[in-house]
Amino acid sequence: MPKNEVIERLDLDRYKYDFRTEDMPVFRTEPGLSEDVVRAISRYKEEPDWMLEFRLKAYGLYMKKPMPEWGADLSQLGDVLDQIYYYVRPQDRMKHSWQDVPDNIKDTFQKLGIPEAEQKVLAGVGAQYESEMVYHSLKKEWESKGVIFDSIEDGLKKHPELFRDHFATVVPPADNKFAALNSAVWSGGSFVYIPKGVHLETPLQAYFRVNQERMGQFERTLIIADEGSRAHYIEGCTAPVYSTESFHSGVIEIVVAKDARFRYTTIQNWSRNMYNLVTQRALVRDGATMEWLDGNLGSKATMKYPSCYLVGEGAHGSILSIAYASNGQHQDTGGKVVHAAPRTTSTIVSKSISRGTGRASYRGLCKVYEGSTASRSNVECDALLINETARTDTYPYIEIGERSANVGHEATVSKIGEEQLFYLMSRGMSEDEAMAMIVRGFIEPIAKELPLEYAVELNRLIELEMEGSVG
Amino acid sequence: MVEVVADRVAPEQKKSGALDRGVVERLAGDDPEWLATRRMQALRIYEATPMPSTQLEEWRYTDLSRKLCLDKLHSPVAEALPDDPQAWPERLRSTMAEDHDAVGHLVLVDGSVVHTNIGAHLSSRGVVLTSLRRAATEHPTLLEKYLATQAIPPEDGKLQALNAMLWTDGVLLYVPPGVRLEHPVRVTRWYSETGAAFFSRTLIVADSASKLAYVDEALSDDFDQETLTSQAVEVFASDGAHVQYVSAQRIGRGAFCHAAQRILLGRDATLDMLNVSLGASTTRVDLNARLLGSGADSNLLGLYFGDGDQHFDHNTSQDHIAPAARSDLLYKGALDDSSRAVFRGVIRVAEGAQQTDAYQTNRNLILSDNARADALPKLEIHADDVKCSHGATVGQLDEESLFYLMSRGLTRAQAERLVVVGFLGMVLQRLPLGGVVEKVTRVIEEKLRLGAHA
Repeated sequence: MPKNEVIERLDLDRYKYDFRTEDMPVFRTEPGLSEDVVRAISRYKEEPDWMLEFRLKAYGLYMKKPMPEWGADLSQLGDVLDQIYYYVRPQDRMKHSWQDVPDNIKDTFQKLGIPEAEQKVLAGVGAQYESEMVYHSLKKEWESKGVIFDSIEDGLKKHPELFRDHFATVVPPADNKFAALNSAVWSGGSFVYIPKGVHLETPLQAYFRVNQERMGQFERTLIIADEGSRAHYIEGCTAPVYSTESFHSGVIEIVVAKDARFRYTTIQNWSRNMYNLVTQRALVRDGATMEWLDGNLGSKATMKYPSCYLVGEGAHGSILSIAYASNGQHQDTGGKVVHAAPRTTSTIVSKSISRGTGRASYRGLCKVYEGSTASRSNVECDALLINETARTDTYPYIEIGERSANVGHEATVSKIGEEQLFYLMSRGMSEDEAMAMIVRGFIEPIAKELPLEYAVELNRLIELEMEGSVG
Repeated sequence: MVEVVADRVAPEQKKSGALDRGVVERLAGDDPEWLATRRMQALRIYEATPMPSTQLEEWRYTDLSRKLCLDKLHSPVAEALPDDPQAWPERLRSTMAEDHDAVGHLVLVDGSVVHTNIGAHLSSRGVVLTSLRRAATEHPTLLEKYLATQAIPPEDGKLQALNAMLWTDGVLLYVPPGVRLEHPVRVTRWYSETGAAFFSRTLIVADSASKLAYVDEALSDDFDQETLTSQAVEVFASDGAHVQYVSAQRIGRGAFCHAAQRILLGRDATLDMLNVSLGASTTRVDLNARLLGSGADSNLLGLYFGDGDQHFDHNTSQDHIAPAARSDLLYKGALDDSSRAVFRGVIRVAEGAQQTDAYQTNRNLILSDNARADALPKLEIHADDVKCSHGATVGQLDEESLFYLMSRGLTRAQAERLVVVGFLGMVLQRLPLGGVVEKVTRVIEEKLRLGAHA
C-alpha cells in the first residue's frame, strides 16, 4: 500500500507560518549569555532592585545546574545557547491599539489572523514579538470588572504587591535548569488577574512570534484566578524556518484560588528548528479546577509537562495532551499531577502520533502524598505509529503513599489498522478518506475540547494539520 | 587530615573473609584456568564500576547506600553440611517433604550444594542436574559458552560483576534436544550464617524442542545482622523449547536479596515464569526476557506481599528483538504496615520487530496507612506494526467486595483476608507447579494473620 503517499496527502507536515518580516530591532544584547546581558535586560526594563537580584541569583543557579540527560537529545543545545540573542527589543514601548503597532510587525500578526480574531471572539489579546509584548489590550467590559490582562513588565510596574506576592512562588528558579535560565533572562509574557467571582465568558489570548534568526524567547506568565472566578487563556506560537536553531523557554505560573476554574490552552506550532523547553505549573486550591490543554505540533525538540499541584481539599486537575512528531521531531511531553490534599482528583489523557523519523514520548508523574485521603487519579496514553521508522515511548511515574488513593494508568500503542482501513473502504470510502477518518477518530477526544467555535487560525491548527486537504 | 587517616582501616585490622581481592583470588585458585581468568576480569569490571546511586534511573527508589553495606559482610566460613537430611535444619526438611512430583532435587545450604539427585532415566538420556562448581570441571564446554557470557556478563552492572567474581556454587540444569521432563526439578536453598554474603548462579539450558519445569525455593530464619543473598539466573530456551521457571523467596528479615535473571528465547520458544517475593528486608529483582526468535512467547508473572518495613523493587524488561513474538507480564502485590514496593517495567520493541504483541500490567493493593507503592511502567517502541499496552494501578481493598462477604457472615478481618488472597491467588493459579500455590498461600495467610487483619 502506498501508505506514505496517503499520509503526504493528509498534509500533516505543511508548515504555513514560514514567512519572515524584515525589520531592525530597537535594541538587542550581544549573542550569548553573561551577567552583563542579565543586567542589561533588567536595566532596559527599569526594574526594581529586588528583581535584578532575583535574576542574578537565578543566573548563578542556571550556570551550576547540569544539562538534563533524559528526555530530548540536548547534546547540541549548548552550542545553540552560546549563539542566540537573549534579548531583542522590537519597538520602543508596548501599544494598546493595533494602529500604533509598527507596520511590519502588524503585518505579521495580520497574516496570522490575530486582530480579526480579537474583534470577533476574544476578551483580550496580547502579542509578543521577539522578546517583548508589542500589543496588549482588554475589552472595556472586563477592564471595568477589575480584570487585569497586561504584559508581565507592566504587571510588575503597576501592581507591584500582587506581583511580588505570587511571582516565582509556583515555579521557583531552582526547579530546573531552564526555569533558572528563564528566571534570569525572562522578558515578555502576560500578567493576568481575574477578580473574585468574575466569569470571563470569552478567552484571553496571547500569541508568541519569533521572527529573527538565532533568537531566544523567554516569556514569563503569571496568572492569578481569584476565588470563584472562571477564565480561559490560550497561547499560540509560531516562527519562520531558519537553517540555524532557535530556543524558546517559557515559565507559566498559575494560582487557582478556592473554587475557581481556569483553563490554559497551548497550540505550539514552532518551526522545526526550535528547541522548546517550557515549565508550566498551577497551584490548585480548595475546590478549584485547573485544566491544561496542550497541543504540541511544531518544534525540533519539546520538553514540556504541564503540572497541577493539588494543594487544597477537593481540588481537581486535568491535563489533555496531544503530540504530533514528524521527521526529525521529538515531542517529549506529558503531565504531572501531585495530590497533596484530601479528596483531590485528576485525569491525564495523552494522545500522540509519530511518523517518519519522529518520536513522541509521554512522560508523566502521578504522586499521591500520605494524608491525601480518598484521592483518585487516572492516566491514559494512546500512541499511533504511522511508519516503521517512527518511535514512541511511555514513561509514567506513579508514586503512591496513601492507602485510600485509587490510581490507574493505561497505555496502548497501535498502528493504523489494515482491517480498519479495509472496513471503511468496503463502505465506499477512498483510501485517503478512510485514513483521515481513522486519524481524526484517534485525536477526536482532544480535538473536541478545543475552542473551535471561533475561527482563529491558530486555534484551528489541529483541524487544519490533521484534517487539512483530504476529501 | 587526622580524620581521614583514622577512617582508613589498616589491612591487618580487616576481618578475614571480607569481600575483597583476597577472596576472589582464593576462589580463582580452585577454578580451572579459563574460569579463573573470567573471575579476575569480573573483579576488574567491579572495581571500575561505581556503586549505583539513586541518581541512576534504575536505582531511583532503592538507595543502596542505606540498604546494603558491603564492607560489613564477609564470605561464608561455616563448614558445608553432609549429604544427609538428618543433619539438615528442620525447616529445610519439612519444606522439602511437601515436594511431590519431582524428577530431581538439588539442595544448597549456605550457598554450597549438599545434595543432588536426578532420575536415572533422565541422566541416561543426557539430562544434567549438578552443582555448578562440579560442572566447572565436568562440563567446561557448556559453561564456557553460557556462564556469565551471553545472559548476565559482569558488564551488566556493579552487583552482577560482584556475583561473577564471588560466586561459590550454584545449579546447572541441561536438557538435551527433544527431551521433555514430565515433572519439575526442585531446588531448595537454606541460609543460616548471619552477616555473610552468599553468591550463587543458576544456569539452565533447554536445548531445542526440550521441555523443563524448574522450581527454586529459598528460605531462612531471620538474621540478626545484615546478610546478602545474590543470585544470577541465566536461562537459555533454544528453538521450540518450553521452560517453566518458578522462584519462591521466603528468606528471613535482615537479608538483602538480589536476583538478576535473564532469559534468552529462540524461535518458537516458550517461557512461563513466576517470581514470588515474600521474605527478606530488601528484595531487588532485575528480570529481563529477550525474545530473539520469531514466535517466541513469554509469560512473566510476579507476586509480592510486604509487611513490617519490607522493601521490594522489581525491575523488569521485555526486549522484543525478533518480529512476531509475544510477551505478557503481570505483577501483583499487596503492601501492609510500612512496607514499600517499586515496580519498574519496560517493554522495548526494536526496529524491525514487527507483529510484536507485548503487554505489561502491575497491580498494587495498599493495606495500611504507611505502605507505599511506586510504579513505572514504560514503553519504548521502534516499530509500527505492533500491539502493545501496559497498565498500572494502585488501590485499596474494594469496600463493596468486603461488604458483600460480610453480609454473608464473615468478619471484616476474614473478608479482608479472603479478598487479598483472591487478589494475589489469581497470579499463582496461572502457573500452578507442584505445591507452590499451597505453600505461598500459607505464607500470605500467615502474614495477614500477624498483621492488622487478624
